[in-house]
Order: sequence, then structure tokens, then C-alpha cells
Amino acid sequence: MPAITKVVLRNFKRFDKLDLLLKPGLNVLLGDNEAGKSSVLLAIDLALSASRSKVESLGVEALLNAAAVDRFMGSRRLVADLPKALVEIFLTEGADPSLNGRNNVDRRECDGIKMEIAVPRELQDEVKELLQDPDAPFPFEYYAPRFATFAEDSQIAFKKHVRHLLLDSSRIDSEQATRIYTQSLFSVNADAKARSRLESSYRKAKDEFRDAHLKEINEVLTDYTFGVRTSSKTNLGTDLVILEDQLPLDVRGKGRQCFVKTSFALRRGGEGTQPLHLLLLEEPENHLSHSQMRKLVERLSQAEGRQLLVATHSSMICSRLDLRKAALLGTDPAKRGALSDLSESTAKFFMKAPDNNVLQFVLSKKVILVEGDAEFILFEELYAKHAKGSTLAEDGVHVISVGGTSFKRYLELARLLGVRVAVVRDNDKHWQKNCVDNYAEFRMDNARVFADPDDARSTFEVCLYEDNKELCDQLFGTSRKSLSVLDYMLANKADVAFELLDKGATELRAPKYIQDAIAWIRQ
Amino acid sequence: MDKTVTFAVAGSGKTRSIVEQIDPSRRSLVITYTTNTEDDLRRRIANRFDGRDAAVTVDTYFSFLNSFCYKPLLQQDMQSRGISFSAPSQTSSRMPLSSKLRYMHGDRIYHCRMAKLLAVKGCYEVVRERLDRYYDDIYVDEVQDFGGHDFNFLLEIAQAHARFRLVGDFYQYTFATSHDGNVNKSLHGDYDEYRARFAKAGFKVDTTTLGASHRCGPAVCDYITKTLGIQIAAASASAARVEVVESQGDVDRLHSDQKTVKLFLEQHWLYGCHSHNWGACKGLDHYEDVCVALNPTSWALLLRGELAQAKPIIRNKLYVAFSRARGNLFLAPESLFKKHRSGT
Repeated sequence: MPAITKVVLRNFKRFDKLDLLLKPGLNVLLGDNEAGKSSVLLAIDLALSASRSKVESLGVEALLNAAAVDRFMGSRRLVADLPKALVEIFLTEGADPSLNGRNNVDRRECDGIKMEIAVPRELQDEVKELLQDPDAPFPFEYYAPRFATFAEDSQIAFKKHVRHLLLDSSRIDSEQATRIYTQSLFSVNADAKARSRLESSYRKAKDEFRDAHLKEINEVLTDYTFGVRTSSKTNLGTDLVILEDQLPLDVRGKGRQCFVKTSFALRRGGEGTQPLHLLLLEEPENHLSHSQMRKLVERLSQAEGRQLLVATHSSMICSRLDLRKAALLGTDPAKRGALSDLSESTAKFFMKAPDNNVLQFVLSKKVILVEGDAEFILFEELYAKHAKGSTLAEDGVHVISVGGTSFKRYLELARLLGVRVAVVRDNDKHWQKNCVDNYAEFRMDNARVFADPDDARSTFEVCLYEDNKELCDQLFGTSRKSLSVLDYMLANKADVAFELLDKGATELRAPKYIQDAIAWIRQ
Repeated sequence: MDKTVTFAVAGSGKTRSIVEQIDPSRRSLVITYTTNTEDDLRRRIANRFDGRDAAVTVDTYFSFLNSFCYKPLLQQDMQSRGISFSAPSQTSSRMPLSSKLRYMHGDRIYHCRMAKLLAVKGCYEVVRERLDRYYDDIYVDEVQDFGGHDFNFLLEIAQAHARFRLVGDFYQYTFATSHDGNVNKSLHGDYDEYRARFAKAGFKVDTTTLGASHRCGPAVCDYITKTLGIQIAAASASAARVEVVESQGDVDRLHSDQKTVKLFLEQHWLYGCHSHNWGACKGLDHYEDVCVALNPTSWALLLRGELAQAKPIIRNKLYVAFSRARGNLFLAPESLFKKHRSGT
């Protein structure tokens, strides 16, 4: 069973250079918008399909790295310098020598398939002449894709070494996407022999229909008769639909379509079927409700015996599926696979922990971790106040509420990813033990724990109250009968925070340790 | 080291011996030089395994050299587009071994220098590793046709761990895979020295297993041994005979006889009959009666009883032609076919 070990992109879409390592089984691609998750899936799909028409329908202009084009246009514009888009798919070693060779960027002897979009050699003279005109536009229309294996075997389109399917849920209900999906699932579930048998009986059935039911009409006609169309546009492949409970899939809601299409593609076929080797899923969370998404995650995590590449925005999908399988796009390449070194217990923690913001953490450069909702609600305001007029957004700092004190899990991530993290926590009456000794194993430059060193000031609310006594008494003192102001604040943390934000924002001052945290994170 | 080279006589069942030796539980590669034998091999292997799975790959030598060795390892360096089967130009031959220009005919690669290029680029070890990765047993048919750099290449890659079984017939050497200058020019000059090259490379040399012809009858075998000086014995008795034909009437009858194939030195298609060329029919096994048309030089030698003194290449081609006969062998002067030759 072939699996992708590495994807190499050169001048493809937004990547001038990408070397992405993949593992067998599940892989999760994480990245912000525009980080290039879909481009990676597209590149794999194009190279493995080895289809010129797919490339042509997308257009070379959309595939060739725009910066490379600009660089070329700003250069001496020599034909030899024309940029080429390159996609190389490195595969696990199989038994077919026609896949194996050194014709790849690594010059390493291994199995693989590549796609190069370049100006073919026989057109170069023509392009050279064209480029002599200083006003000539970039010669996109001379570009053509070329597909080959690493052994420089160009018969790949006929051989289909890797059976794959791309499911893009953002285009899930487009007619063409549905047709492609249906056809590839059909070919997975029926081999070539079975398919041609079914094709011909379908044709026969049309003829029988004509003979049986159009006969009456045709008999009264002279010269011309009616028939039923059979062509490349109307045949079994184009007329097939997938039914669920007798209803065609394309009349279902998008969410249901997403779910069904993904699960159907993941199904293990029976005897005589050719299972997919690789499933590419583009943002499977689209159109899915929370509960459907949980079900989908379960299906994905149980998909054994094939390679899965999931591009996602969803914290839930990536953490529930095991963070160790994640590759980060749009970050420092050295950090890309860093999550695979995550300890098993931390990976499992995020799989089991309540829904969290781990994806946001992973994708950030600077993060302030806080214990709970109260800190989270007030932090933006406090930050603005003590950051010399700057804001969280301006400084690119994210505040994440951990909902407890599981900071160490995040610190482990921070260590792997180099995220700058300020942990803001309560001392819980024992500063030395809870806030110093507790984090002895995480002494590193990019992380620091901030807490009030005075054991008496044990929680955020206590500190807040003591440092803003007047304001708090004024806001919460008047109507209190049984509880002291501080006790009230401790008992209604989130509401108090919200009220402080709402009514006391201008006067509110952050406790010293929080000011320190803000100053440090901004460095 | 499990390497054997078996020298056979014509019709002794070289191809059959390869097909029978194939072990379906092992991954086999069969390399042959002529496309005649390639088709034949495929057919026979398919027959033997009759739909059952056997990991057998059949490839012609140049397809193997190009698709398995050259392209996977060197295509990106050379950026060649296709193979040139021309003789190398003098300019290219003056280039140093390290120069790309020595190997290229425009943007195509010289067929006769591909093996040398692999050597110069230090690829022998990688090719051996590739062979071992994909195959357990490697069979090479028509090994006598390896010439030039290809012969050295063959002996080198045979140092792989895989089991090598080479089969050939020294005297059926009629055209070399390739030649380049003086490289292995005298390789086929002497049978003893030729065998010694294999022995020195670690091969066990077997001259007995395939020593008798199953195709040709005793009369044809005796005739070959007597006139061409090439030792060949018949495996079984047969009534087939050898006849020298000298009258126009007899030649005309043979010419129009669809059951008898007429073999010419060259340009057989000009004679408008069921025909082939001497050398090119190597590997073919389906002719019954055969009529060999002798060109004037050979005919003169035959009449003087000195055919064995013909140039080795001519003698070898005649050997191929004579030994095609399952049935009767007729010999006639080419001049009597002249009236059937188109354009005359």
C-alpha cells in the first residue's frame, strides 16, 4: 500500500519552497487562513491525477507562484530563468521499479511522482523571441504540465499508482465536484472489468427501453425516429448518483453531504474492490454541527489501512485526532513537524480535555494563558491600559483561558514550538510551591509564570480587589448584605469581571504581576 | 555467487530452458535482446503459468538499460530526450569521458554509450542494489549479442546478489547490442577466450546442458557441422534432409511454395515471397522447411567446400539461417531468385 512520505513544492501557488513530511495513517494540516493548506492538497491531487486537463482548467496563472513571476519580470527575462512550478510526491517504497529513481529534488533514489509546469523545450525559442519585446507579458500560455515518476516514466496517467480522492467540503454541493466524487467512489467499489460490464448493460438497457417503449411513437414516424442518448456525457458514470435512504445525496443539506461523503469514502470495500490509498480532506468541519463533527472525528480516527490528509481550521478536529499527527503550515519550517515530539500524555490530554483553543495557541507567536473566564474577560482592557497604548491585536498577543491550571500541557507545546508564553495564575496560597517549584522543568526563555508572590493574595479576585478597593466597593458594596465585597467577587467571578469591564474600565488597574506579564510578553 | 552462463546450440531450447527455470515464488527479470524472443518469451511464460500469479518481468535489453538504469539514475543530469541509435560522431568521440557531449547526439543519448555513462557516473553499485531490490533471479537470453560497453556492463551488474542465468550461442552472434570504437572489438574472435571472460567474472560455464538441437534433424546438424565447422548435434532422429538446388525450375517452385520460408542475406522483402533475412530470424522457432538463398560470395565458397572460411559474421548468419529448419533445408544461389526481385 503506497503512502506519501514527503511533499515537495517549488513555485507552486503561495509556496516558493515547501518540504512537508507526512506520516502513514493520519496527518493533520494546520494553518491560518492563507497558510496554504488547500494548496498542498491541490498539489497532491494534481500530481497524483496526472491530468493535463485538470491543470489547464485551473490555469497556469493560478498555479505558478506569483512572486516568482514578478521576480522574473523584474529580471533580465532570460528564457533559462523562467520559473517552473514543481510538485514532487515522495512515496513509500513499493515493488514497481518504474516509480523509483533519482529524478527528484533530493537526487535520492526512491519512489515518487512529480508534476512540472514549465515552458516545454520545443517552445523555448518562440518564447525567447517573444520576451525580446520589453512590453511582452509573462508567457503563461506557453506553459504546460508534465507528469512523470522519479524513474522518468511518463506513463503514470495510465497506471494510477496511488488511488486517491480529494474531498473539498467548501465545494461540496457543486455539480462537478459531486460527479467527480461519485465516479471515483464508483471506480473504488467496482474494478475496471466490473465497470465496463455495467457500462455495457446500461447501454443495453437504454436500447431495450427504446425498442419497448418508444416503438409506438417511432412506428408512426417516417424517416426519423427517437432514441436514447448514449455518449461520453450521458453514460453510467455520469448518470450515477449516491442514495442514502432512497434519497440522492445532492438533495441533502451540505452538512449531511459532507458527513456522508467523508464516511462513504472511508468505508472499507468488500471483496474485489480497490480501496483508496489516500484520502485528502479539505476542512471537513465545514457545514457540520458540533455533534456531527464529533462523529466525523470518530470516523476519521478509526480510518486504518490508508493515508489521510486533513486540512483543518478546527481546534476540535486537530486536538481530538491527536496533535502529534499535525503539521503546521505558515510557520517556521523547522517547527513544522515539531508537534510529533509531544509527549503521549499531553497529546491524550488534548484529545480528552474539554473543547479548547489549542489550535489558536499553536498558531500564535505570543500567548498569555489565564486560568479562567474572569481574567479572560478583563485582559484586553488591562492590556490596553498597561501596554503603553498598544492593544492585544496590535501586538499579536492572544489570550487563552485554560479553564483550570493545566498550564504545563501548553508549556510543553510552547517548548516545541517556541511560542512566547506568559502564564498568569493564582498563587493559591503557596507561591513558592504552586508558581515556582511547580514549573521547575519548564525554565526556558520563551515562557514565564506570573503570579502574585504574596501568599495572602491568593487569587486574581483578591489582588484585583485589594488594588482597586474603592472601585470594587463602589460597584459591588452597596447592595451586598450577607457577603463581603470580596466574598461576592469570589462567588461571582465572571459576572464581576463583566461588570468591572462594563462600568469601571477606565479606573481599573491590573495587579503588579499582570502588569509584569504584559511588559514581558511585549518584549 | 550463483551465476551460470549456458552455451547452447541452435534449437536446443534456450528460451524453453529459461521459461522452465522460472520459479513463481521468486521475482524474475528476463532480459532479451531481440524483440522476436521478447514476444515469444511473454507468450510462453503466460502459457506456463496460465493465469496464475508469477512475478515475471520481460524486457528487452535497451528498454531495461533505459528505463531501469539510465533514466531513473541519470535523466535529471543529462536532460536527454530519447535515444539515438546512430554511430557516435567523431566530434563526440574526441570529447573526454567526463564530458556530457561525449554521450549526446543533439539532445538524445547515444545507445552505445549509455552503459559506459553509467560506469563513468559510478552507477554500477546503485544498479546492482536496484536489481537486488526488485528481483531475485535475472535471466539473460541471447547473451552472445552483448558487445561494446554493454558486455562490460553485463558482467559488472552480474556481481549483484541476485541469481544470474545467462543463455546464448556463441556462433549465433550476428549483431552486437552496440559497439563503440575498439571496446570489446575482438570479444567474439575466439570461443575459448570468450568463455574465459565469463569464468573470470565468476560464472559457471555450462556447455553441455543445451548441447543438442531439438529443432534440427541429424541431416541438418551434420550439414552445419561439416560445412560451417560449428559443432551441433541432433537430439532425435528425423527424416528431414538437406538439398542443394541449382535449377531455375526448382527455385521457382520453392519461391512460390508458401510452406517454405526463403531466407536472404538482406532485403528479403524485395523478393515477393514468404521470406526473412538470415540474421533477423534469430529466435524464431516456427519454420518447417527452409530455403536459404546464398549470395554470390557464399555460393562460391559453398561450391568450393569452403563455407567455414566465410567471414565470421556471414558464417554466423548462415548458421542462424540453416538452423531455422525443423524440416528440410534447401540451399540455392541467390542469383536464381533474381527474376523474382522487384525492380529488376
